[in-house]
Amino acid sequence: MSPLHLSFYSAFVLSRLGLAFHRTHLVSALLCLESIMLSMFVGLTIWPIENQTPSFTIVPIIILTFSACEASTGLAILVASTRTHSSDHLHNLNLLQC
Amino acid sequence: MTYFVFFLGACFVIGILGVASNPSPYYGVVGLVLASVAGCGWLLSLGVSFVALVLFMVYLGGMLVVFVYSVALAAEPFPEAWGDWRVAGYAGALAAVVLVGLVLGGVVGSWGFGVVTVDSVGMFVVRLDFSGVAMLYSRGVGMFLVAGWGLLLTLFVVLELVRGLSRGAIRAV
Repeated sequence: MSPLHLSFYSAFVLSRLGLAFHRTHLVSALLCLESIMLSMFVGLTIWPIENQTPSFTIVPIIILTFSACEASTGLAILVASTRTHSSDHLHNLNLLQC
Repeated sequence: MTYFVFFLGACFVIGILGVASNPSPYYGVVGLVLASVAGCGWLLSLGVSFVALVLFMVYLGGMLVVFVYSVALAAEPFPEAWGDWRVAGYAGALAAVVLVGLVLGGVVGSWGFGVVTVDSVGMFVVRLDFSGVAMLYSRGVGMFLVAGWGLLLTLFVVLELVRGLSRGAIRAV
């Protein structure tokens, strides 16, 4: 694997691990989601460069668009949680706890 | 020049490591800014300046600003910092997991050096990224309309999510 492919691939793996193991805040998990999207964007932009296919450049732009939608929805959930529980701590999200 | 691009790739990974092991969301946002600046510089070095500028404006200027405001809303007044041994151990454990995976996957032994760039030559001197994104409006107009519809829908989704229990009244956050 070339070192640059290794770079965004390991960034993706690190962000996924960070999302799986986030500890206290909901916004930390949302930041890890954003970094997943960032590493995917860089990887998808390298593809048309290396294969010299200009039409594939559309795909990272579309991904960026839908990631903006996802980030705004996540932040709306964060605001709703802060309004209800006065913080975004994850132990507040316990409606399904037995 | 090749080593400069590799250095930017390494800064990208270090920024993402900072996001994944953040002691507090304030420092996570710093890591994300570092990672996106390094990623943008990486894309610039490879030649796709248009996509790099789109990343800068939409991602840093749009989404991260909104994230920073939300972090200011929702995070705690006395955050932990990087110097705590638990945070350093967390970051070290994440890096160790990735390194073990690399070694077991046989990736580290076989490195191919080199960087491919984007400047096209010939009669029609149009840059790869400009022409590619411009195709979104001509050949990809269906996807363009779907993306616009999705953004409009997200606006109403967000409006409904933050409406709160008392339907439509403004509450102090």
